[in-house]
Amino acid sequence: MRRAVEADVCVVGSGISAAMVADRLSRTTGASIVVVEAGDESVPLSQRAATRERFLRYGENPWLGDHLEGYEIDGPLQSRSMQVGGMAMHWGGVTPRFSPEDFKHKSVYGVGTDWPISYDDLQPFYQEAEEVMGVSGEQGPHDMDPRAKPFPMPAIPLTYNLELLKHWASNAGIAMWSQPSAKNSIAYRGRAQCCRNDTCSPVCPVGAKYSPDFTWSALRKTNKVRVVPRMLVRKLVLDPSGKKITHAIALDRDRPNDPVEYHAKTFVVAAGYTWSAHLLLLSAQSGAENGLANRSGLVGKYLAGHRNVGAYIDLPLRLYPGMNEQHSLVSKQFMRGKAGSPFIRHDLRVWESSVGKAPRLADDTGALMLGDAILDDWRKRAQTGTARARAYYDIVPDRSSELTLDPARKNAWGDPLPKLAFRDAPESVAMRAQTEDSIKALFATMAKAGDGKVLRTNVDNFQDHPSGGCRMGADPANSVVDSWGRTHDHENLFVVGAPTCVTGSCANATLTFCALALRSAHEIERALPRKA
Amino acid sequence: MPALTRRTFLASLASTLPLAVIVRRAHAASAAHLASDPATLDALAEAVLPSALGHAGILKEAKAFRDWGTGYRENAEVLHGYGTSRLRSLGPTPLTKWTAQLDDLDARAQSAHQRKFRELPVAERADIVRAVLQGQRTDRLPAIADASHVSLALLAHFYDGSDANDLCYEAKIGKATCRPLAAQARKPLPMLKVSER
Repeated sequence: MRRAVEADVCVVGSGISAAMVADRLSRTTGASIVVVEAGDESVPLSQRAATRERFLRYGENPWLGDHLEGYEIDGPLQSRSMQVGGMAMHWGGVTPRFSPEDFKHKSVYGVGTDWPISYDDLQPFYQEAEEVMGVSGEQGPHDMDPRAKPFPMPAIPLTYNLELLKHWASNAGIAMWSQPSAKNSIAYRGRAQCCRNDTCSPVCPVGAKYSPDFTWSALRKTNKVRVVPRMLVRKLVLDPSGKKITHAIALDRDRPNDPVEYHAKTFVVAAGYTWSAHLLLLSAQSGAENGLANRSGLVGKYLAGHRNVGAYIDLPLRLYPGMNEQHSLVSKQFMRGKAGSPFIRHDLRVWESSVGKAPRLADDTGALMLGDAILDDWRKRAQTGTARARAYYDIVPDRSSELTLDPARKNAWGDPLPKLAFRDAPESVAMRAQTEDSIKALFATMAKAGDGKVLRTNVDNFQDHPSGGCRMGADPANSVVDSWGRTHDHENLFVVGAPTCVTGSCANATLTFCALALRSAHEIERALPRKA
Repeated sequence: MPALTRRTFLASLASTLPLAVIVRRAHAASAAHLASDPATLDALAEAVLPSALGHAGILKEAKAFRDWGTGYRENAEVLHGYGTSRLRSLGPTPLTKWTAQLDDLDARAQSAHQRKFRELPVAERADIVRAVLQGQRTDRLPAIADASHVSLALLAHFYDGSDANDLCYEAKIGKATCRPLAAQARKPLPMLKVSER
């Protein structure tokens, strides 16, 4: 039996971008909002200490049941996780802003594509996102870290270890400061202060790290938003004119034979970089044969991200690993290249580490150690410390960096699964070796400044913090949505957050996804009834 | 009728029950055996863990290891990796293997010294462990459940924990425990030696 649900706004997905939009619309409008999520409810806060314990002891997934069966896909999926709250249930809570240059690669460096908005356009929404989530941060040097207003909370204090490492970085000529984080340095909006359990990713047991479930919980308590888990949206349906979406067709995982229709005035696809483009492509129909919002042929194209080069550096410093291993120093010193300079941009972070100082079973001669010998050996080697350094660097996304429908793999209900392939644009391919060598040289310089040595370096081939697939632009011929996230092709269909990014920057991107989603919400709310 | 030993009990199970049930029961039987007779494991802990823990500390670590084994859930889903859609789960319970290896330590002690493993001086126990581990990969501490021998698993369990970290640095770091945030700006307080506690 067919069921139908009516609302002013239907949000597809319940991750962090969806939470920003629903929260904003519930604060500023009187609209009825329904949020449809394919995954299950996430593990409640009250159970997270217990699931964290199992994670620490055995490596078990603390987010029980956070995935759909049969979704093994071809390509580097960021995470299998699908649940109320999305991937941000297990994010690290790291919240740098992009730099002004991120929005104008073409103008400044002559590569890639400029965004249709500037840093200044996004700045108020960065601030709003920081306030909604609760971000603790320290103002960096203004020329590196432009901000109009202070952080909502004081910075997470540097550990004893990070203070020593900050001094070391300073000797190498690098300004570093406390990494802004969506973790409470003080109690914030009913959530606890961080007590450095040090498992921010994958799970904070006390709720000091922001995750979208807190927003959903607050909205549900006031009946402002209806969140429907276990409801997989399979298709968005167009009206005969092709200009508007009339409804979404969803599959109730508990009653798969009874399709559910969600009718709304506005549809917001907030399903991340994979599932947003996937849904648009799955929604191919008469009048939109290549998928919704796809007149440009760019739905699923220009997937973006950044790669990292890392190093472990042995330093003659007495560090105490374990004080707060997930908190780091950050620098934006290498993100702000001037016009005409080579396109080598990267962030820089430094953590305490125990790499190279871990206990071992065999001594330098290969002889087995037992009892006191292991501890004695460990103590000797732990007299000096290890810094972990890592730099994300920019990648210009290529058109062929794409999500497509996989003809070979289908889910249990017969829908093709997505297939992912990340590819660098030719400019990035040409610059890759020089960029990575430049970062490795920086690590060597840093090591030398501290009388240390680089233990090892590594390049992670995975493009982290993926985004794109429905990129924004002013020209409908080369973009999927406008700067507000409204699809060029369908006036009541928005795509928000990660998929709308033009580039992936060289820093963690979740705060930017949130700021973009909030900016979309400001546009969406203009057509909705104001709050009484 | 011969007495029903743990081994004959497990063998009789194997002939009549589905594999998953056998595994579950074998795990439970091994856990019960270790709980009722922890002396060999305790003796092993004395031979391989650092004396700086003190006798009580060593027994505490041996019990924590036993509890770890008892709490192991074969096939439990592990944390998703990033960058892949592949799911992974925990492997077979190591507990049955560990109990057999503890039995083997006893057998070796009987064979070489005509005494139980637990009755030997610590140095002789360590020699037996060295002999067992000869030829095995010992360049680094393994993941606990993947350890080829119970002695390596015990070491991996201890050295993975906060207590070992504090012992090494002789400081109250309290890795991965809930601690006041403001205190992280200070050098960790020194840890008292066993004799001072």
